[in-house]
Amino acid sequence: MVDIPDSRGTSTSSILTADKRTKKRNAAEKRFRFYGLAAICIGLSALVMLLASILYQGIPAFTQTKVTLEVPLSADVLDPEGNRDPEDIAKVITFGYAGLIEEAVENAIEEYGIEIEGLDDPAAIVSKQASAQVRNWVLKNPEAVGGTQQFSFYTTSRIDQYYKGKVTMASAELDSQISIEQIQLAEALEEAGALERGFNWDFIFAPDASDQRPEAAGLGVAIIGSAYMMLIVLCLALPIGVAASIYLEEFAPTNRLTDIIEVNISNLAAVPSIVFGILGLAIFINFAGLPQSAPIVGGLVLTLMTLPTIIISTRAALKSVPPSIRDAALGVGASKMQSVFHHVLPLAGPGILTGTIIGLAQALGETAPLLLIGMVAFVTEYPDAPPDGFFDPATALPVQVFNWTQRADPAFAERASGAIIVLLVFLAIMNITAILLRRRFERRW
Amino acid sequence: MKDTRHEQRDTTMNDVKISASGVQVYYGDNHAIKDVDVEIKDKTVTAFIGPSGCGKSTFLRCLNRMNDTIDVARIEGDIRIDGEDIYDPNVDPVQLRAKVGMVFQKPNPFPKSIYDNVAYGPKIHGLARNKAELDEIVEKSLRRAAIWNEVKDRLQAAGTGLSGGQQQRLCIARAVATNPEVLLMDEPCSALDPIATSQVEELIDELRTNYSVVIVTHSMQQAARVSQKTAFFHLGNLVEYGDTDQIFTNPRDKRTESYITGRIG
Ligand SMILES: Nc1ncnc2c1ncn2[C@@H]1O[C@H](COP(=O)(O)OP(=O)(O)OP(=O)(O)O)[C@@H](O)[C@H]1O
Ligand SMILES: [Mg+2]
Repeated sequence: MVDIPDSRGTSTSSILTADKRTKKRNAAEKRFRFYGLAAICIGLSALVMLLASILYQGIPAFTQTKVTLEVPLSADVLDPEGNRDPEDIAKVITFGYAGLIEEAVENAIEEYGIEIEGLDDPAAIVSKQASAQVRNWVLKNPEAVGGTQQFSFYTTSRIDQYYKGKVTMASAELDSQISIEQIQLAEALEEAGALERGFNWDFIFAPDASDQRPEAAGLGVAIIGSAYMMLIVLCLALPIGVAASIYLEEFAPTNRLTDIIEVNISNLAAVPSIVFGILGLAIFINFAGLPQSAPIVGGLVLTLMTLPTIIISTRAALKSVPPSIRDAALGVGASKMQSVFHHVLPLAGPGILTGTIIGLAQALGETAPLLLIGMVAFVTEYPDAPPDGFFDPATALPVQVFNWTQRADPAFAERASGAIIVLLVFLAIMNITAILLRRRFERRW
Repeated sequence: MKDTRHEQRDTTMNDVKISASGVQVYYGDNHAIKDVDVEIKDKTVTAFIGPSGCGKSTFLRCLNRMNDTIDVARIEGDIRIDGEDIYDPNVDPVQLRAKVGMVFQKPNPFPKSIYDNVAYGPKIHGLARNKAELDEIVEKSLRRAAIWNEVKDRLQAAGTGLSGGQQQRLCIARAVATNPEVLLMDEPCSALDPIATSQVEELIDELRTNYSVVIVTHSMQQAARVSQKTAFFHLGNLVEYGDTDQIFTNPRDKRTESYITGRIG
């Protein structure tokens, strides 16, 4: 017998004390764990910083300062003919209502006994949106002309920002759009109970507004546009993607052609999204003549983009079904179709759904191709209900974010962050759905 | 315990059920089955024995065209069931497989309920006209596979939740539920305990009254107990084929003798 030299370093190997080699291995393991932990910490802190900054900037977008005023709907201004004919009332343009708002503000100052020295243009604290708001209401209720009506108006973004701490007396002094006296007026109105800050549903549901009225801008059209596009992507990409994957994975013969197709699908997944935008512009708008800025074009482009993702994840899901299940089905005399649809597809279902939802989430956040097909347009009218609405102009959530960051007024920056929060909430909902579906349907075999 | 060596019935009278001649199977460049000729009799149990990797499973899978699903597999030669060429272009493998059932080496129940596992075959072949008939087929099949008593109270439980041996018997029940004429069994007892094994062996013997059974096994004793004919494969060749008694008591080939006495394999 050969004596094997004791490699453990000690002649009597006790398991109570770790030997040299074991110590070394343990140290290596510890170090590796530390590296891993450090990497996770870096990642997490980056995520926390990102979320914190977005939340800090974006949360205020969900509240808005509003002022409640009694507006005298004087018949002289609104119905010069005096016959209460809606058509005649409609002839008075929005500009004509500005005087009424001024009057309303002055009445309020008087009523609450507010005295501010050097107060100039007190109506400037009310949003320019107010005239349009009153006009729309009057057109709907022509019989009210002649009386007074209580309205709740947005304040201008400067007053709103003052309450959110972003405009100060010092900055107001240098600002041409707001004066210290106007801020004092707002505070006085607040004391009188006519001005308050509250949750602003209009931020979520109202359409976009022009540069001069950031306080009125909302995400309504963008959300509808995104929803329409997701609907189109889901209805096109899911069936096409799943059918293509089933064919490639279960039926296609292995030959050069299928190899080439496979490689190209993987390549497509790596194509930058802006390329799909150019393709969409060339094919769907220039060649097929579909309208610009329409969800149908956006949806088609995003479908092209999402297809590779869905195909790849569906094929992975199909591949992960053990071949023994197919054998079992074929063994009892099922046809290929039956084995796929009765056994393989149900097992691959959760994987397919997860892939689809992740693909949709990707499409929801996609901006670049939509810019190219004109979805960055300024749209203040809601699109119709589908299917007609698919051809109406709309924007999309990420594009709205991009759009708002381009605008001059700082109030839009806040809204851009608010829009990001809405987008993130949608993405989170989709991802959580994916996880829940997977948990719910996952089966072991 | 009951003697599991069943009395040998006369097999020479039986007709040929499957006849194979000149069968070659290639997996790409790997020549897995080399020029095999064999005649499998009706109402007979035929055992395939041989060392691991010699091609028993491969040849078995040729008999119901399960090798069609393997892209690299290429089959040459002539295999006939009741005189009909199963590789004829007019043959629908789906119909063939309903006739030639199979139990696989690894238990592979569907991830569905026990009931659905057994009922699936009869359902797709339209063997039951109503729920009552289907219930009957399921019960009969589970009884024949010697598993009824263990599962009768939980037919709606998942088939994958059974133990390995129970799963294999469930697969046997699934295979007999479609009433095949030939049953191919690839090491059906490799995951079973001795009691379940003897139950399955009894089942095999019972099946013999109506069907032709081909069984791959690594257990000499099992081959000796259940089969009337034995084929010994070695390195892709069919070395010897004959009555089980003769193979085990008086093998003609040296390789057969070494294998059954435990020297190769
Ligand atoms: N799907 C396949 N692809 C490629 N080669 C295969 C495949 N299946 C089997 N082979 C090869 O064919 C030969 C015979 O395999 P087979 O499975 O028939 O052996 P076996 O006799 O059943 O062995 P065991 O007793 O271990 O089950 C082996 O060399 C194996 O490598
Ligand atoms: Mg085998």
